[in-house]
Amino acid sequence: MVLSNQNILELTNVRKVFGQTVALDSVTFSLAKGEIHGLLGGNGAGKTTLMNILYGLYKKDAGEILLRGQKVNIQGPRDAIQHGIDMVHQHFLQIENFTVLENIILGTDIKHRYSMKTETEQAKIEELCKRFGLEVDIDAPMDSLTVGARQKVEILKALYRGVEILILDEPTTNLTPQEVDALFVSLRVMVDTGLSIVFITHKLREVLSVCDRITVLREGRNITTLDRKEASEEVFVRAMVGDNMDINNSIYFSTDVRKSYSRKIEEAPVFSLEGVQIITRDGIQRLKDINLVLHSGEIVGVAGVAGNGQRELAESIVGVTAVSAGRIVLDDTDITHITNQELFQMGISYIPEDRLHDGFLPKANVAQNLILGHHRNQPYSNGTFINWKTVFTETRKQISEYNIKTSGPEDVGGNLSGGNIQRVLIARAFSMPSKLMVAHNPTRGLDIPSMDFVYQKLLTRRVEGYATLLISEDLDELMRICDRIMVLYRGQILGTLLRPQFDKYTIGRLMSGIQEEQFSQEKETALS
Amino acid sequence: MTIVKKTLPYLLAVLASFIAAGIFITLMGFNPFKAFSTILFTSFRTPNGFIQTLLKFVPLVLLALAFTIPLTAGKFNIGGEGQMIAGGIGAAFVGIVFSSLPGYILLPLVILAGILAGAIWGLIPAWLLYKFNINEILTTVLLNFVALALIDYVATGPLRDPGAGHPTTVAIGKGGWLPLLVNNPPLHAGIIIAILVAAGIYVYTARTTGGYELIATGANPRTASIFGIKVRRMFVLSLVLAGALAGLSGAMEVASGSHRLIEGMQSNFLVLGLIIGLIAKGNNLAVPFVAFAIAVLEVGASAMQRTLMIPVEMVFIVEALILLFVLLSDVVRRK
Amino acid sequence: MDIAVDFLRLVLLSMVPFVLAGQGTMLGGRTGVFNVAQEGMMLVGASVGFLVSYYSGSIFLGMAVAMLSGALFGLALAYFTTTLKMDQFVIGLALFFIGIGVSTLLPKLLIGITLTPPLIRTLPNLAIPVLSKIPVLGPILFNHNILVYFSVLVSIGLWYFLYRTQKGLELRSVGEHPMTADSLGINTSSMRYWSTIIGGALIGLSGAYLPMVYSGTFTEGMVMGRGWLAIALTFFGGWSPIPILLGSLFFSAVEVLAFRVQVIGSFLPYQFLQMLPYLATILVMVFTFKRARVPRFLGNNYDREKRSV
Repeated sequence: MVLSNQNILELTNVRKVFGQTVALDSVTFSLAKGEIHGLLGGNGAGKTTLMNILYGLYKKDAGEILLRGQKVNIQGPRDAIQHGIDMVHQHFLQIENFTVLENIILGTDIKHRYSMKTETEQAKIEELCKRFGLEVDIDAPMDSLTVGARQKVEILKALYRGVEILILDEPTTNLTPQEVDALFVSLRVMVDTGLSIVFITHKLREVLSVCDRITVLREGRNITTLDRKEASEEVFVRAMVGDNMDINNSIYFSTDVRKSYSRKIEEAPVFSLEGVQIITRDGIQRLKDINLVLHSGEIVGVAGVAGNGQRELAESIVGVTAVSAGRIVLDDTDITHITNQELFQMGISYIPEDRLHDGFLPKANVAQNLILGHHRNQPYSNGTFINWKTVFTETRKQISEYNIKTSGPEDVGGNLSGGNIQRVLIARAFSMPSKLMVAHNPTRGLDIPSMDFVYQKLLTRRVEGYATLLISEDLDELMRICDRIMVLYRGQILGTLLRPQFDKYTIGRLMSGIQEEQFSQEKETALS
Repeated sequence: MTIVKKTLPYLLAVLASFIAAGIFITLMGFNPFKAFSTILFTSFRTPNGFIQTLLKFVPLVLLALAFTIPLTAGKFNIGGEGQMIAGGIGAAFVGIVFSSLPGYILLPLVILAGILAGAIWGLIPAWLLYKFNINEILTTVLLNFVALALIDYVATGPLRDPGAGHPTTVAIGKGGWLPLLVNNPPLHAGIIIAILVAAGIYVYTARTTGGYELIATGANPRTASIFGIKVRRMFVLSLVLAGALAGLSGAMEVASGSHRLIEGMQSNFLVLGLIIGLIAKGNNLAVPFVAFAIAVLEVGASAMQRTLMIPVEMVFIVEALILLFVLLSDVVRRK
Repeated sequence: MDIAVDFLRLVLLSMVPFVLAGQGTMLGGRTGVFNVAQEGMMLVGASVGFLVSYYSGSIFLGMAVAMLSGALFGLALAYFTTTLKMDQFVIGLALFFIGIGVSTLLPKLLIGITLTPPLIRTLPNLAIPVLSKIPVLGPILFNHNILVYFSVLVSIGLWYFLYRTQKGLELRSVGEHPMTADSLGINTSSMRYWSTIIGGALIGLSGAYLPMVYSGTFTEGMVMGRGWLAIALTFFGGWSPIPILLGSLFFSAVEVLAFRVQVIGSFLPYQFLQMLPYLATILVMVFTFKRARVPRFLGNNYDREKRSV
């Protein structure tokens, strides 16, 4: 154990309550100077909440913060920044129509604050770019940057403010495996120059490969803090999920990876996209010549860095976005130009990625949310009148089966937490049988047992002979349950891998646009 | 128990605004208790007071619904005034041009013309929203001012009654008059129509699939459209329906009372309708009850101005304060 | 020629309420507070501006109190939306109602109902030495009441503030992405309060312009939708000071045109000319609304502790 006098930061007995839920219950955390400290746990464990308290975004209800041995009172981000604490949020906090420069200097004191001549500031940023090898065009508007470049800007923002303690919240989301490796290298460089880093993640392998010490949180409590070298993988797994979960039968932690691949490819497809294109009104090509087939009882994954056409792919299949060219066929019926209302009746179900905007009615109650899309069908309705009695009995069943934490079908949607909203979306999609399910990041925001529940449900569909298209940013998730994985890059399928060929780095190369001969599409078509 | 829980914040809001107004009235040198007893009990002291209240209730409930129906779909219709005027003009036009027709034809014609004209006035912003995605708040408001100029033209133009001092059209044909339920003081059949409409709207929004789609659209139009609801059509439907109701109220104003289109017939029904709709928090079931309460206050306000010389605006401010306190009670409960 | 000069002079004269109300709306909107109470606030500004000028004899005191009344409405709007996080549009409507009530109640109480309304002296013209002597341009541009010059200076001042100062950059960031601004130590609440209060003062002043320059007295509903037009103008001007100033010229030109033709007389009944400003605005919205640049966070309230899910 590192001695406490070497600790640059100590949080003791921190408590935080949101409404009726206890988000943090007496959590203690310490950070030594010059270490990378992993903060590990499933969704809803309280990792981000704890760090938001340190950064001053949330007020703690109890507990103390000791910085370099001194008790400090952090009222807001301004205090945190003054103490040398900075945080890179999972969803970058950036202003899209400001330039990179403006984003970096925003909120700091500018030398010529009544003329905005920023030569001094520019020089300082350029010097930092060079020193840490973070090359970005500082005059570019923020919204023209790629995810990777945006992350560099976030780190530059922190360095510009003279950060000593850097908090990174799920920094590897949306990076390719290669980019993740590069990030880890530069984190090491920063630590060597004297920084201390808190690394928030739910991915065990990442903490094991980059962190010096690891603290595990679960359900708002700290479970354990261990030196990387002291502990085995199993200890962390058990700490993350608790005693109730059956790890041996779980899919999330399954070690004997299903190598088999049933050669469905020879069968007739249930569903196919033929040469599908989407070109926006501004002439931007979002999807380019997509050819894709799904067989019954197959789970096909779509990998890729977010923003490479995944959303357009999902929305073109469910009839939300019209395709510019190509054909979509379900069960030998051309559904290219069929309205989404009919598609839902024909047996397509959909879990959209952006649950708040695309999948949920916060002002309506839970029952109204659960029947959305099914509301014209039996048994909920006879087409004209809704049978609320049936709706309530049915939705009550779903609430208990999908473990949605709510006071009942009449509870207002806005009262639900993110994870429970996600469960509503999942319940809605699975509650009616569907020939094809399009699931876009279906486990986002769920804790590990709930993720496992969704995987079980997806595999049940597979056994029952239904087809599923799983679009996910979580590569581990895809590799766990898919039969095939296609990689989407700039609206194009760069390659398709069969289950025996799954390899993180191969997929990573395709995700960053490096096409390899053996996975090119010509091969794929030849195979089928 | 739940009823008590639900109405308690309303009662507190009313109490708070009356206390605030009472202080103000006292400072102005009037007797607040006299003022309040006039405001609250004029409607219930005499049959005439009660009938006046019912007559006020008709346009108020219709204009409030013209606001809350689009609100259910997440759209703000601030154009009830223009739609009501359009309805009045349509009804007056038909009632004057076909004045010799018998009642069983003319009355339905007059009412339908009003509904249709109001619906068309509501269709304009709806179409602009559907076609060009133009915010309905501004277009509905601006069309009120267009309608104000239009009614001025109609009431001073070719249909004008030259004998009247105030801009007014000539009377519509006798066949277009709404039948009276009570003769003295006169109470016309519009009250029955208004109650039926309010009940119909409640059943539509609470029980039917169409009503469900309206609610889903208002709750999150993006999600609703992804799951197969044609939200833009719902927007248009809600605004046209709203226009039709406001037009209906305009037609009934023309077909009752002095049976003509009078400039200024829209009174301040628009703003009162908005206040009712907002106090009811957009709940179509609560609208008729709130509308009745506001009608009581309005009738009391006129009596107060007559007998105590306190300007009617005082009551209007009380109504706005009730709204503010009702909204505040939400915040208090949230904490 | 004379008609043209006269027309352009009137356009500048009549743009003031649009400029002030538009800039006031823009300023609040730039921190995300979407004000829809303009119509009511302008009525109150007109009412108290008139009353104070009438009783004190000082038109400048009248202006000051009109600004104060607008600032109070702005404060109320900021408090209800920023501190209590209530729906901006609904609160805006409630303030609009209160504005209607207060603006008519006050004159009724203080002056009573009279057949001949009392008048105040209207705002005198302030000819700028030398410049006002230039032929054509002089009378059009440099012989106006003080608020015409003020409204132009305010527009330029706001532009400089928003785009050339550190505080301006910070203020704009609050209307785009308050969580980012907050995470960088910017006080989002104080930004929202001040922008709404100062914006409210401008809106109040724009209302006072009507009795002080046009009519010399207050009449019920005298704002005639200019408050709502100001909102359309702000969208038209892309929530940016200089385009709003230019847009005001257009809005004012339509108003003056409708009025001039009415006076001269035309084949159209005058009521149809009265509709012109409103119909022209709707038409303008058809062409500009889709492209309008709007602050990202406009109309929303920021709650730091609300967990983003």
